[in-house]
Amino acid sequence: MESSTGDSSGAYAPSYSNRDPGMNVPVHSKQNLAPLSPYLNFDPVYLPQSQPEFIFPEGASRQRGRFELAFSQIGVSCMAGAAIGGIGGLYNGLRSTTLAGDYEQSEALNLFPLNRLLNYVMKQGSATANTLGVLAVMYSGFGVLLSWGRGSDDELNTLTAATATGLLYKSTAGVRKCGIGGAVGLGLASLYCLWTARDRLQGFRQEYSPA
Amino acid sequence: MEEYAREPCPWRIVDDCGGAFTMGAIGGAIFQSIKGFRNAPSGMNRRFLGSLSAIKQRAPIIAGNFAIWGGMFSTIDCTLVHFRRKEDPWNSIISGAATGGILAARNGLPAMAGSAVIGGVLLAIIEGVGILFTRLSAEQFKPPNPTLEDPSQLGPPPGFHTQQPNY
Repeated sequence: MESSTGDSSGAYAPSYSNRDPGMNVPVHSKQNLAPLSPYLNFDPVYLPQSQPEFIFPEGASRQRGRFELAFSQIGVSCMAGAAIGGIGGLYNGLRSTTLAGDYEQSEALNLFPLNRLLNYVMKQGSATANTLGVLAVMYSGFGVLLSWGRGSDDELNTLTAATATGLLYKSTAGVRKCGIGGAVGLGLASLYCLWTARDRLQGFRQEYSPA
Repeated sequence: MEEYAREPCPWRIVDDCGGAFTMGAIGGAIFQSIKGFRNAPSGMNRRFLGSLSAIKQRAPIIAGNFAIWGGMFSTIDCTLVHFRRKEDPWNSIISGAATGGILAARNGLPAMAGSAVIGGVLLAIIEGVGILFTRLSAEQFKPPNPTLEDPSQLGPPPGFHTQQPNY
C-alpha cells in the first residue's frame, strides 16, 4: 500500500517517507512508554507539583469575597436562630402547658395544646431568627463596605465590622449599652480571629522561641 | 456581581434565605421609615423618632417573613429539581404557588388558594420577564444577514490563464 502510493506520487514530488532514517530523532522522553500514547509521554518536570493551578476569568478575584459569602452567612445565621429559638420555644411551651397553674386556667388554655405549643415555637423561633438575621445583615453590610472601601479583606475588617455591628444594634439603648454591645462584638470577633489565625500564631511562636 | 452564579442545590436554600432576609430587611427599613415618619406626631424630632421606632419594631419581622418565603420557595424548588431531574421555569412557578399555599395554610382553604394563585402568577411573571430579557439580549448577538458578493468582478483565478472565462 505504502510503496504503491509512493510510486504513483513520485512523479510529481519527491517522496518523504516516514521511515526516512535521517529523521529518526527520538521525540519520546522514555522509549518504553512510546506505544502507550504520545500524550502520556512527556517529561514529568512540566507537571506542577507544588500548588493547584486554576484558571480564573480575567479580572476576577482569586477567592470569593465578602459579598459572595454574605447571603450564605445571613441565611445560616437566620436558620440557626430559627432552630435555636424553636427549640427554646418548644421547651418553654412544654413547661407552661404541663405545669400550668390552677385547674380552670389550665383547662381553658389546654383546649388546643398543640396549637399553643406551635405558637410558642413559632413566636420564639421567629424572634431569635430575626435578631440573629439582623445582626448578620449588619455585620455583612459593614464587612462588604469596609472591604470595598479599603480594597483588602483581612482581620481588621472583621474586627471593625463586628464592633460597628454591636454599636449599631444597641445604638438606641443608651450610651452605656451601646458601648457594651460594641465591646461584645469586638470580643467575639477577636476570639474568631484568634481561632482562624491559630496556625499563623503557632508559626510566630516557634519562630521567636525555638524550643 | 457579574460572575455571581447560583449555588448548587442544597446550599441554594441557605443562600436564598439569606438573600430574601437581606431584601426584606433593607426594603422593610425603608418602607417602615417612611411609614413611621408619616404616622408620627408633628414635629421633626418626633417624626424621626417615630420613624426609628417603626424600623426597630417592624423591619425585622418583614425581613423574617421574606426569609421564610425565600427559604420555603428554594426548598420546594430543590425538591422539584431532584424529582423532575430538570431545572426550568415550571419549577419556579410550581414552587411559588406551593409556597404561597403552604404559608397561608393556617388561614383556611380559600386564603390558601388565593395565596397560591398569587404566588404562582408572581413567579410566572418573574420567569417570563427573565425569558423576555434573555430573548432580547440574544437578539443583539444574532449575526447580520451576510451579503454575498459577486465573485466574478475579481476576474479569473491565476491558475487558469489558458482557459477562456465562459460565464
